[in-house]
Amino acid sequence: MLLQLNNIFKWVNSGGQRIFLLKDINLEVEEGEFISVMGPSGSGKSTLLNVIGMLDGFDEGEYHFLDESVHNLKEKHRSNLYKEYIGFVFQSYHLLDELTVKENLEMPLLYKKYKGAERKAMVADMLDRFNIVGKKDLFPTQLSGGQQQLVGVARALIANPKLILADEPTGNLNSQQSEEIMALFKKLNEEDGVTIIQVTHSEKNAAYGSRIVNLLDGRKV
Amino acid sequence: MLKHNLLLYLRNIKKHRSSFLINIVGLSTGLACVVLVYLWVSDELAMDKFHEHEERLYQVRRNVSDGQGSLVTFSSNSSLMLTALQQEVPEVEMATAVYEFNNSARLEVDDKKLSAIGSMASEDFFKVFSYPLLSGDKNTVLTDVNSVVLSLELATNFFGKASEAIGKTISIKQGGQRIDEVFTVAGIFEVPENSSEKFDFLLPYKTFLKYRNPDDIRWYSNSSSIYALLRHNVDLDAFNNKMADYIKKKNKNVDEQVFFTKFSDSYLRGSFENGKQVGGRITYVVLFSIVAIFVLLIACINFMNLSTARASRRLKEVGVKKAVGANRRSLIFQFLSESLLLSFFALVCACFLVMLIMPTFNTITGKQLTLVLEGQMVSTILLITLLTGLLSGSYPALYLTKFNVVKVLKGKINSTFGELLVRKGLVVFQFSISLLLIVAVSVIYMQLDYVQSKNLGFNKDNVLIFERQDALTNSMDAFLEQARQLPGVVNASYMQGGMTNFSNSSRGHTWPGQTEASKQMTFRHAHVGPEFIETMGIEMKEGRSYIDEKPDNESKIILNETAVKLMGLENPIGTIIDMRGPNREIIGVVKDFNIQSLYNEIAPMALLCRTEWVSNLVIKIKAGEEKTAITNLTKLYDKFNPGLEFDFRFLDNQYQELYRAEQRVSTLSKYFAVMAILISCLGLFGLAAFSAERRRKEISIRKVLGQSISQLTIMLSGEFVKLVMVSMLISLPISYLLATDWLSQFAYKISLHAGYFIGAAAVALFVAMFTVGGQAIKAAHKNPINALREE
Repeated sequence: MLLQLNNIFKWVNSGGQRIFLLKDINLEVEEGEFISVMGPSGSGKSTLLNVIGMLDGFDEGEYHFLDESVHNLKEKHRSNLYKEYIGFVFQSYHLLDELTVKENLEMPLLYKKYKGAERKAMVADMLDRFNIVGKKDLFPTQLSGGQQQLVGVARALIANPKLILADEPTGNLNSQQSEEIMALFKKLNEEDGVTIIQVTHSEKNAAYGSRIVNLLDGRKV
Repeated sequence: MLKHNLLLYLRNIKKHRSSFLINIVGLSTGLACVVLVYLWVSDELAMDKFHEHEERLYQVRRNVSDGQGSLVTFSSNSSLMLTALQQEVPEVEMATAVYEFNNSARLEVDDKKLSAIGSMASEDFFKVFSYPLLSGDKNTVLTDVNSVVLSLELATNFFGKASEAIGKTISIKQGGQRIDEVFTVAGIFEVPENSSEKFDFLLPYKTFLKYRNPDDIRWYSNSSSIYALLRHNVDLDAFNNKMADYIKKKNKNVDEQVFFTKFSDSYLRGSFENGKQVGGRITYVVLFSIVAIFVLLIACINFMNLSTARASRRLKEVGVKKAVGANRRSLIFQFLSESLLLSFFALVCACFLVMLIMPTFNTITGKQLTLVLEGQMVSTILLITLLTGLLSGSYPALYLTKFNVVKVLKGKINSTFGELLVRKGLVVFQFSISLLLIVAVSVIYMQLDYVQSKNLGFNKDNVLIFERQDALTNSMDAFLEQARQLPGVVNASYMQGGMTNFSNSSRGHTWPGQTEASKQMTFRHAHVGPEFIETMGIEMKEGRSYIDEKPDNESKIILNETAVKLMGLENPIGTIIDMRGPNREIIGVVKDFNIQSLYNEIAPMALLCRTEWVSNLVIKIKAGEEKTAITNLTKLYDKFNPGLEFDFRFLDNQYQELYRAEQRVSTLSKYFAVMAILISCLGLFGLAAFSAERRRKEISIRKVLGQSISQLTIMLSGEFVKLVMVSMLISLPISYLLATDWLSQFAYKISLHAGYFIGAAAVALFVAMFTVGGQAIKAAHKNPINALREE
């Protein structure tokens, strides 16, 4: 068992009313799964992903990640946990425009106490694996969207996470680029055993996954 | 990681050049101000601190009633005080007396003549003070009545090498004390740069006593400055209490209070008011330190405001870094190191700036400062830079890193009301300081203009003043007689001392109808010659001025209006009074004229006429014929004093020197004010640009809905104009209070009218409008489609 959500509630108070973003979510994710979270806009997909990624908190319920009880952890421990085990892929890539491809890839390693030579090796390995060695000194703005997302995925993977969280990773891409990224995800899942949870609107993309979680108004359906 | 952050930083700079320039210009100017003022302040504070016993070195002062209800402090004493301190006061380890010549002396070796400033000092002078004695024994160098101690410079000038000088003879003439003797060089000293006292030679104090009429040595005379080295562990307050009545005990007719003040304090705290030490130059030292820090603060604020306002540009970076595992501490560290890097870069620029400005700064302050990289200074400046970096970086660092990753990455950062308030508050602070400085500059300028153009009661224009030297000592009348005949010369006369300060004062005089209270009235007095009143253009109120009727003149006296009023004389002319000699007949009363700076009110004053005491000649020349007159006078002077340079000065220049401190303040504050407003405007410029960018969508929508460009411009500028208005509300009342306080020290001053404040406000508003307006117009002209399409 990689992670387990038990009766997770998340809400905001607005105008004296409690508006539920997540309502009684129960979810178990085994290592090696490829899950697609689907649902209309505002159904809580991204919120769920952020909660799983520990970027956002929740108001009620229990969250176990590996052997840790996330709901009982202090902020510092929690960030250490996600730093070590989770990689993020964003819809708008979120590469730093001022850094080259190589430097963007290296960035997560800087916060994980790897030595300089080690970092170099890991970056080189990743560039190789994603076939982007020729682009290592380019800046993100010099790349196409698909290439940027490729770098985004590479960056998420570089520190060998157990779990990849992808929030509409193909939302800004055309269909061909989308297919390439999804194929990459599938390959990572099948060959390298990386657990993936993705948020998507597209049935076609969802089909790459092994399981679909549907949300509506913060509830699992 | 460091390399990584550095790269990010450099690429960010490249991308946002204008912000970087604003910051670097502001911070380096601010730092340059601080460095300059720091150099100046540490130089001022080091004044007279080089004396080895500086901690125990005191000057003897006296408080004397002025007969009008308040105390006047004298720094001079009778020579009797020296012997008394040495023999009767156990707390005093050593003491020395110094008599300063009012005028320069003429020194001669063979054919070489030089004019120099000197004093006469008693034996222990070089033991009490620590002026380095290059040759000669500090115990004996001033003991022999025929010896002289020269400054290194003077000795080198006369004898080529200082070592050659010892044992040589030198003839010294000094008009005021009528010294004309040959002295043997017994020692050579140096006066350090940071000594407030400057002198070229010292004669033994015995020479002074030799020339002094023993009858004139009395407890209330005020010839010499007395300095005492107190023993270790003497409690000053107790000692001052004990000594207060010292003179009174010696001579019960002299009602004076003795007290001791630290010698090294005299330079910075040399002003006394009603018997109390009240400050002096220290005011300006403190003032400029504060102003320099404010200028730097204004620059720091720019940095804070620009970095937080442009936070959106860095937010993505913060978000991504947090998402990939950066903790807040490492991000704060990153932003702080960026601001530190910037401030150290600014320091480098500031050092170049300082070197560039230094000559001008030295001219303004009258110092010889250099940027020497010496331990304490370097560490202080580095510390200031470090603080600058931390201060300006702290708010952005804390602000930028506090956001939640999810929100940051969604780009949903709305400045809260509090943040806007802080940013606006900082702008208001900047402009308040700038406004304050603008008001200060204009008030100081107008006051100086006022005192310099005020009718002084005499005409200071086109009057030459020069020392009575050499041949003029004996043939002054012949010189004046011939000078009056020269074309271009209006009139000529002579006087004791100068017009800018009648240094002599006396009291204990008697006149008919004197009251008990006015017995102690202090009079300023000077000896002047026939035609003096006419030469100076002083108006007679009644009676007549001096005519050439020696020695009859010596039994006459002329008073000023104030004296007559305070003395209560109904019909002064012809009254016989006792003042500086018995049975003097009042022959005239002059209208009041100012002889000091306009800090002081006009004092009761007496003009006497005795040729021996005269030290200066004054010559009035015709306006427009200055050149002819001066050429002719130079020829005439050369006839009387062959080989001597005709070393004259214009009275109005001398008069301006009275206000040198104020002139300096005026010039310096002008520069500071310009810098403060410029840096503030740079910040405003940056903020306006940012605000225009932030409101692009709003502007576009408004434009599409039909708002005109001028309306938009007004709307955008209004935001900032409001801030400047608020700073006016804060700063104008404060500046009014400060200006009133500053002016209160002048006896004659301008009245503060609203114009000064309205003027300053207008300047600030105009500059702010100009800065913001350009940005606003640019923003209003943009094509709305571009902004809306991005959504």
